[in-house]
Amino acid sequence: MKLLGLMKKEFHRFFHDPRLVISMLLPGVFIFVLYTFMGSVLHSEEARELRVYRAGESVCTTVIEQVIAENGDKIEWLLLENEEEARAEVEEGTATAILKFTENFDSSLGNGAGVNIIYDSASEDGSYFYAIATSVFHKVGMLFDVTAETVKDSSQMGVDLMTGLLPFVFVCFVFTACMSVTLESVAGEKERGTLATVLVTSAKRSDVALGKVLALSCISMIGALSSFLGLAGSMPKLMGFSLEFLGGYSAWSYLLLLPPILCAVPLIVAAIATVSTLSRSVKEASAYTSVFMVVMMVVSLVTAFVPHIGDWVVAIPVLNAIVGMQGILAGELPVWQCLVGAGLNVLYTAVLVLLIAKMLTSERIMFGR
Amino acid sequence: MEEVIVRAEELCKTFPLSRKQRRLEKTTAKKKVAVDGLSFTAKRGEIYGLLGPNGAGKTTTLRMLSTLLEPDSGDATVLGHSIRKEKAAVRDCLGFMTSELKLEKFFTPDYLFDFFGTMHGMEKDRIAERKRELFSRFGVNSFAGVKVGDLSTGMLQKVSLVIAIVHDPDVVVFDEPTNGLDVLTARVVTDFLEELRAMGKSIILSTHIFSLVEKLCDRVGIIIDGRMAAEGALGELCGELSLEERFFKIYRDLKGDIL
Repeated sequence: MKLLGLMKKEFHRFFHDPRLVISMLLPGVFIFVLYTFMGSVLHSEEARELRVYRAGESVCTTVIEQVIAENGDKIEWLLLENEEEARAEVEEGTATAILKFTENFDSSLGNGAGVNIIYDSASEDGSYFYAIATSVFHKVGMLFDVTAETVKDSSQMGVDLMTGLLPFVFVCFVFTACMSVTLESVAGEKERGTLATVLVTSAKRSDVALGKVLALSCISMIGALSSFLGLAGSMPKLMGFSLEFLGGYSAWSYLLLLPPILCAVPLIVAAIATVSTLSRSVKEASAYTSVFMVVMMVVSLVTAFVPHIGDWVVAIPVLNAIVGMQGILAGELPVWQCLVGAGLNVLYTAVLVLLIAKMLTSERIMFGR
Repeated sequence: MEEVIVRAEELCKTFPLSRKQRRLEKTTAKKKVAVDGLSFTAKRGEIYGLLGPNGAGKTTTLRMLSTLLEPDSGDATVLGHSIRKEKAAVRDCLGFMTSELKLEKFFTPDYLFDFFGTMHGMEKDRIAERKRELFSRFGVNSFAGVKVGDLSTGMLQKVSLVIAIVHDPDVVVFDEPTNGLDVLTARVVTDFLEELRAMGKSIILSTHIFSLVEKLCDRVGIIIDGRMAAEGALGELCGELSLEERFFKIYRDLKGDIL
């Protein structure tokens, strides 16, 4: 009853203030406008002409051709005779990629079939072909192994926009959304003396902490959804191609991104609320949280540049969500990683809520001079 | 025999002093003693006044009674509940009003009354009944739907008052109840304190205004430097002197000059 009352108060505060609602929805609109604009500047309107070496046969190649044609581009298939020479061409940029199917690929689906994509991840055309090819294979049902190699060594390797940077950018926007509401609600209330008024009542400190974190997480999720929709809407333009032809695969792939990020939101809110409870003012809390955000950004960026990061990453808060999203965008569905990561994030959130409750009982923190 | 509602026994509270504070207060002590072995009782149906200069330890004492601060040593009971061990029970039978506890400017008195009623575990019907009673008694109805941020000081004080006693507590603790109020609102507050006393509530107030103590308090405790310098019924304490004359006599005896 008291917990519900505390949550309702936060909702009332947010939903009855149009400025707060608009400020929460605005990032999504900004992302859409900005990324759409960036996409139109980055990608020329000229049609691409891809040259792809191929070994082995599959109906998948017809589908890839169709998707590329749908995007107004062309593909020329070349027979792979000498892999060394073909690799050199991919490296030089005169060929886009190499696609190697195992023998009798279509008839051995689910029975040892596999495909290997060799491309230059730093090349725009290479990344474009890789994204379309992996999407097509995913649509077919992944009854075979897909492996990918990039022709450049790791120091020269470019970062794939979709799988590498996108989750990082997304988490940054979500963090900003969480920060704006949580700083105001926790550090703001503490600074104004209104939090102490609640502490004079018989409401449990754990209820006060949990009420804040739950309500602010729900509110922050609105911001996260807004950013998500803005990002999803602007992706085709930003990437320079659309996967609409694949009958909704991209929409489904996008939707899969939501659970990891939504599980990370309460943790981010709880972390900011902890820092806010410790701080004497919004200004102080804001300074600490900015440092926290920079650390998170740096660590997140590392995952974008380091391929095949170890499974241990699921234990790292927030980072596990980023890696989960990267996996989903790469066409995999790392179920156990996502589930363990989400579970651990919930656990970390619970620990932080208990910590906040403990801090609310500390007179040095609440009424320190 | 009159029932003792609040019993404070040997309450002590110290605060650590930062290096900057030690420099400002020109002391080498690492702790400041705010309350030093304070004991007193407040009975049912009486107004007990804690009188003392700024920094004497009045507010710290009231904060300890309302469980916002934990005593270093000693204890106090409110209706038999220990302020150290039964904090939630104490909060449910005590209403605390101080200018340091603020109300969110965004909300209306109407909303905040319901919210704080819920925080005290009251049923909806009971909250509505108390709201009718208190809003009408203090004339809050006319601005019940106005955001707190848009209220005048007098209106805000009335709202703070009704919210502090939303749960109909047996003990009401007021820190400087008439500070910053216009004469009309101050009168409303003092009349209400007398009304609460008539209803059998125990009221503990802190003030440095002699006239307020003389007008309202049945018994008074004079606090100087965190210690109880004198205590008793007004008549017993003052004798032939006025409260002001008595206070300064005690002060000079203990501290020498006023400045």
